[in-house]
Amino acid sequence: MPPVAQHQVSGRRRRSPLPYTWQRGYLLASPALLVMLAILIYPLGYSFIMSFFRWDLSGSAPFVGMGNYTDELSGRQFNQALRNQAIFSVISITIEVVAGMAIAVLVNGKLRGMRLARTLLLVPPMIAPAVVGLNFRWLFNTQYGLVDALLRMFNLPDIPWLNHPTWALVSVIVADVWQNTPLMVLLFLAGLQSLPQEPLEAATVDGATPWQRFWHIVLPLMRPVIMIALMLRIIDTFRTFDVVWLMTQGGPGGATNLLTVYSYLLAFQAVDFGHAAAVSYIALGMSLFVLGLLYGVPWLIAKRRAI
Amino acid sequence: MTEAAIVSERPRPKRRRRRVTAGTVGQYLALALTVAFTVFPLVWLFLTSIRSSADIFSVPVHIIPETATLTQYVSVFVEYDTMGYVWNTVIVSVATVILVHLLAIPCAYALSRFRMPGAMLIFGVLLIMRMIPVIALAIPLFAVFAAFGLLDTVWALILSHTAAKLPVAIWLLLGFMQDVPKEIEEAAQSDGAGTARTLVQIVAPLIAPGIGASAVITFLFTWNDLLLALTLTSSKAAQTLPVGLTNFVSQFGIDWGAMSAAGVLMVIPTLVFVWFAQGLLVKGLTTGAVRG
Repeated sequence: MPPVAQHQVSGRRRRSPLPYTWQRGYLLASPALLVMLAILIYPLGYSFIMSFFRWDLSGSAPFVGMGNYTDELSGRQFNQALRNQAIFSVISITIEVVAGMAIAVLVNGKLRGMRLARTLLLVPPMIAPAVVGLNFRWLFNTQYGLVDALLRMFNLPDIPWLNHPTWALVSVIVADVWQNTPLMVLLFLAGLQSLPQEPLEAATVDGATPWQRFWHIVLPLMRPVIMIALMLRIIDTFRTFDVVWLMTQGGPGGATNLLTVYSYLLAFQAVDFGHAAAVSYIALGMSLFVLGLLYGVPWLIAKRRAI
Repeated sequence: MTEAAIVSERPRPKRRRRRVTAGTVGQYLALALTVAFTVFPLVWLFLTSIRSSADIFSVPVHIIPETATLTQYVSVFVEYDTMGYVWNTVIVSVATVILVHLLAIPCAYALSRFRMPGAMLIFGVLLIMRMIPVIALAIPLFAVFAAFGLLDTVWALILSHTAAKLPVAIWLLLGFMQDVPKEIEEAAQSDGAGTARTLVQIVAPLIAPGIGASAVITFLFTWNDLLLALTLTSSKAAQTLPVGLTNFVSQFGIDWGAMSAAGVLMVIPTLVFVWFAQGLLVKGLTTGAVRG
């Protein structure tokens, strides 16, 4: 290819309605976009439309309007799943973020073994949630499990972890907290280490206690990182499936059915794809709504104050 | 490092040192407790996997295994024939990583360099796609792949994982592309390199760490996935390890020893990547803080 004046030549040669660079851009982006259109967006649109039909793979699929949605929103099982989801999301996110921040603040410093600790903290968030589920199912086993064995050793009463509705939900939360708190620690540590030092030093000079420094300086400065952490956990708790599936399959008696698990059971045990699709879209809608609150409420307050 | 240098230059080393020591003990305690809680459940999984079955079902529980044995691992491969699951998982994960990056690198390059109309729409779609619960995708994909006769093949898994992992990979790579100075490319182009050559020979090597980070993340999240494999496959022809884990549950109970051994095997790639590619992983997880 001649090195000189390539742009002029190509500009003249191609008489296209699109500028030259746009063509190139679309050409490079199109394979990925087409794959996403075919395997991501088309199926999602398809199931969204089918969530307004009775869809059980039997051939005939009559239109039911909002039927699937109204059925679910007024149904007992859906409301149980919704309640479980709310408890699971609120408690596990709260523990993960608060404990994650506390640990990050405590270990933030030049400690020996910090590199190794950081390596180890990376392990839980990156291993398969399915393995986490099975491992905690084993730890919480009432006969041979370690946790009850330790309780017995200290003469405490056994806890029927996975056999009791409330304790089963607690168990699932414990597994989720174990897996995801380290991720929060790593995120917050990265945030803490990029904080500007001047305000902290100034506060120390002014005689602020460590707690005052944390509450009035560190926390406000860390706000963007905390928002990202919250966003990640909100998205992910509304998608949680694997841990629950390996631990309880939603049981006992639906006590650990999260929205995703309930939707899976509807689709692949009851073969009721219409209702299942409706539930999956309600789950998506709710996570979008919560994210909207997370970002919208502070924005509104800031706007109010500005006026 | 510079901070440490500044601290050491300061006067009053005596007082400073004493205060640091008092706080440091607490810090080490916090660090040790955190690491212990993090590591212990995994150690327990490993200990269970090297126990004999009699030891596993003993009351009271022995904290330290009576004997170390590999029988559970043998039974994973002999009785449960797990090798097939391993192969399927490897094939699906590797193929997904390759396909995702063949598609994502040019796409991210186009989005970062050519200001095409509609780019903002594409960004928006990428972000929304990250939030979709996997079940919302699994339900229609089951119907679509059934229509094409792809159910219960590794292709169903490779295609669905490729599409599902693309938004995150593109988003990650975009971040790294934006850090590459445009002058280098302009120099290459004025020397006569076309777009394709610039991308392959100039840009790709410059963002190699970014590609590495997104490759490791794509691999591990594909390797770990249970939901898509559970929905789209139904036999050993295509089932992956996470689904294989559910097979240790039978009507006679759960074979905890073999299940733990299979769990340990599943965790190995994570340990390898965490140990050897820690930097890439942290980069991948904290750049725009992506996940899933």
